[in-house]
Amino acid sequence: MTEPVTNQPPQRQKRIMELDEVLAKVKDGMTIGIGGFINSSHPMLVVRGLIKRGIKNLTVAGAASSGLEIDLLIAAGCVAKVVAPYVGGEALSPIGPAFRAAVEKGRVEVFELDEAMYYAALRAAAQRVPFNPWRSGVGTSFPEVNPAIKVFRDPINGETLLAIPALNFDIAFLHAAVSDPYGNVQYVGHGYGDRAIYAAADQTYVQVEQVVSNEEIRKDPLKTAIPGADGVIRARFGAHPYSSPGHYIEDQEHIKQYVRAATAWAKDNDFGPLKKYLDDFVTGPADHPAYLERIGIRRLLALNEY
Amino acid sequence: MQNPAAATTREIMATVLARDLVDGEWVEVGANLPVPRAGVLLAHLLWGPNMTVMIAMTKANVLNEPVIEEFQLITDHRATRWAEAYYLHNDLVENMKFRRKGVFFAGALQIDRYGNSNLIGIGKDYKALKFRGPGAIGVCNATVMNSRFHLVVNSHDKRIFVPKCDFVSAYGWGGGGKDARTKLGLPGGGPRYVVTPLCVMDFEDDTKRMRLKSLNPGISVDDVVQNTGFELAIPSQVPITPVPTQEELRVLRLRIDVGGALRQ
Repeated sequence: MTEPVTNQPPQRQKRIMELDEVLAKVKDGMTIGIGGFINSSHPMLVVRGLIKRGIKNLTVAGAASSGLEIDLLIAAGCVAKVVAPYVGGEALSPIGPAFRAAVEKGRVEVFELDEAMYYAALRAAAQRVPFNPWRSGVGTSFPEVNPAIKVFRDPINGETLLAIPALNFDIAFLHAAVSDPYGNVQYVGHGYGDRAIYAAADQTYVQVEQVVSNEEIRKDPLKTAIPGADGVIRARFGAHPYSSPGHYIEDQEHIKQYVRAATAWAKDNDFGPLKKYLDDFVTGPADHPAYLERIGIRRLLALNEY
Repeated sequence: MQNPAAATTREIMATVLARDLVDGEWVEVGANLPVPRAGVLLAHLLWGPNMTVMIAMTKANVLNEPVIEEFQLITDHRATRWAEAYYLHNDLVENMKFRRKGVFFAGALQIDRYGNSNLIGIGKDYKALKFRGPGAIGVCNATVMNSRFHLVVNSHDKRIFVPKCDFVSAYGWGGGGKDARTKLGLPGGGPRYVVTPLCVMDFEDDTKRMRLKSLNPGISVDDVVQNTGFELAIPSQVPITPVPTQEELRVLRLRIDVGGALRQ
């Protein structure tokens, strides 16, 4: 038998996915990375989706400095271990309230490290080696409070350095400005440390404000920060309540609402306000449009600044 | 504005930090750290036109800006209006050569007599902390790789200034001695000043014990001693911390701190 003759070349597969298809890839106990930086660019459809699905025992690393999206995952009981140089909201909440409470109560384990050690760990994963060396931290408490970090004598010059073990993500989740249908992702601005998270991950799924054409991406290929997302999720306002550079600023009122709820649990052991927050904004809305309806079009448009 | 003595404590603290900076140095301006931010910008605008000033992960050109707006959050994308280069956050934390000309400013939960400091938490048992701190952020690395750093705190009391930190997340002068850092192979010059609302402290040349350098106006040696949880080295004569000049105050108030964060 001969192949049917056709003028049609093989078709390139599009990578646009529904949120549920992406979330179905996450299993209890996985190690996941969440992109963004403190009050910006977190993939919040994914974060709320993981909570809604009742995912447990995750090892979660946020960005080098992560925000209250990690705090929310901790508050909702999804996290066993957090890899964190910082969890908080800067002036809006200097220390994540649920992070603080869960660690003090011994409910969540911390993989203690600073931002440079964090990137060394991601670099090791990206390079497929067991560790990366780093100098800063020699003489501090880090190797003592985090026994996974080893002090060693380097075999080239005999200097004392730290070995930072590889941090490999089963899956990384990011939020960016645009992607084409093939997973070529571009940011407005520098994109924080998202490239490093992508490089350390077996699979990467990216929420975007807008899907654009491949031609649009090819106007400036140097801007393509993530050249191979495994899946792209349509997510207009998908970083809310955090900012999305070039699209909207953070919703401080909403962030403060979360901080008040989490603080009631952390300080007074009253889970009521947090349960209400989760009901109202995480488990309650049927999908992302329903979430945005609860936030309200007037609030969303008021955030719509570059 | 006519009377430089009317400078606020925070304006004095910012000026102390500014006067340590030299043209050509590399400095980051963090968000929500009004005192170091103002110090950096003051030096840049008045005598450091060739300094590299990093704002919100950008190399910022603000030299000829009449008013430099303050941003509350480091993620505020509006700060990129001044960018002449973006630094990916991972490049900023992985590439270390530029930090040889860098000066850094660090806060702390606890500081000991040798300038070692702690952002991890309070408590003797790491597995059962009484207070979980924010984490080390980038401070562990920045205090090693920059040419020097200053510890800057918003209050001066015995909870912060302790005989021994429960944990050390940023190495100062270890157990003391001028070779404390070089013997561990740490390249940076270590902590130089500790700037508080009460005073400025530095470190003795040989022992690297913390030493009272100057008293802020209206503060006595006894005020400092009573609020410090270890024995400071105290010279026989302790000068008053120099206050900003009229020109420094003018630039602070009209270009750098229009919102008045240092005057609250």
